[in-house]
Amino acid sequence: MIDEERKQNLLLKINQLSAYQEIENNMGRLIAAVNFRRIDDVLKYFALEMDDVSLEYADEGVFEGAEALRAGIEYLLGTEIRAGEMIDLQLTTPVIEVAADCRTARALWWSPGALSVLRENDEPQARWMWGDFAVDFIYINDEWKVWHLHYFTVIHCDYHEGWVDDTSLINRLNTPMHERAKPSTWHNPYHPKAIRYGIPAAPYPYDTWREEERYWMLRNDKTR
Amino acid sequence: MFTMEEIELLSDEEFIEAEKQIEKLYAVWQVKNLRGRAAVFHDDQHINQPRKELKAMEHPSFDAEAEIAFRMKPVVDSLEGNMLIHPLTTPVIEVDETCTKARGTWWSVGIEGLSKFREKPMAIVSLGMVPGTHVKMNGEWRILSGNWQRTTKNEYHAGWINDMQVTNTRPPLSKEEDRNFLGKYAYMKDEVRKPVPAPPEKDTWNSSPEETDVSWLYKNL
Repeated sequence: MIDEERKQNLLLKINQLSAYQEIENNMGRLIAAVNFRRIDDVLKYFALEMDDVSLEYADEGVFEGAEALRAGIEYLLGTEIRAGEMIDLQLTTPVIEVAADCRTARALWWSPGALSVLRENDEPQARWMWGDFAVDFIYINDEWKVWHLHYFTVIHCDYHEGWVDDTSLINRLNTPMHERAKPSTWHNPYHPKAIRYGIPAAPYPYDTWREEERYWMLRNDKTR
Repeated sequence: MFTMEEIELLSDEEFIEAEKQIEKLYAVWQVKNLRGRAAVFHDDQHINQPRKELKAMEHPSFDAEAEIAFRMKPVVDSLEGNMLIHPLTTPVIEVDETCTKARGTWWSVGIEGLSKFREKPMAIVSLGMVPGTHVKMNGEWRILSGNWQRTTKNEYHAGWINDMQVTNTRPPLSKEEDRNFLGKYAYMKDEVRKPVPAPPEKDTWNSSPEETDVSWLYKNL
């Protein structure tokens, strides 16, 4: 018998699957925009309408609010693209949970990546840059947009030296923090003396957004 | 978003067909999530820490006792410098008609740090595959079977032509033992590569309906 519960269940799964596909596509488009350093395109995938829209990047801090977000992306990606530069981040290992109310979603991707970084009086430096993306999405104006994005560094090293021998790039230089950056919430890249903690954690199924679970990706409790 | 009005327009036959198709697609998503969670746990490595169960421990074919014993065994002195990043790519997942069984294969290009006795870690490039069978138990998808299948595991600078590290166990495996374990189908510069695992075919559940049947992995041999 096709009762109301079955109909509601089908409707929910259709809408969650639709959200899942759109989230994967939008995050893919966002990463393509990052790789091609198209700042305006990066920004259009963020929920700029939300007061607390945010980007946290490694140990560079949290850029919260639309203006700070733009400033942070310009700071991190740079506004001038020069010959020989390359960013090539990829999205793998997706774990995506769409809330039962289909208003928000939480997602994790592992991201292998490669860079080519210019140096003065030398060839560009080939680097590995592997990390993780933990992202909150919100359904707003009929679109799934990035609400909070946190990039976690795993390795960042010279290609030739590798992640054990070159740890010089895993932490930022002791230059002044960006004026818009709030303190980082977590930074634990790979290092020969560091321990891995399964952070960012994978999201778990949930019904609706609750502010007290805002930092689901930082939990070290692996029982959910 | 879809609305209930659109659902109400379906005939009973259309509803049942839509329900089956959606359930299959949903299962594929859930199995991807399951394997992603397993990848996070694999990198974490804190043995005997309470974790959400991802394995089909209650399945009659699953050796839960051996699994628990395996989880308790340390294979390094300290977690310092140890890392197991095996990203999952290239998924092929087939779900059966009851939406309670799923076969899948993934490929992976990974990196590791390995320090067995608190020595300076070795940077390792680790290519491989993740084949597996998954079952839905008590409303949740679980991993029934499927081990990491190594393609390469080389010291970073040595490269995969010239170096093959064995799986780190205690006591350590000989090269021969390793070759009969996770390295069975690993790359060898003087051998033709064997086509294992085969990705599950679309009709995999018709041709091999039992979830304990793993012959589909080896059908190309």
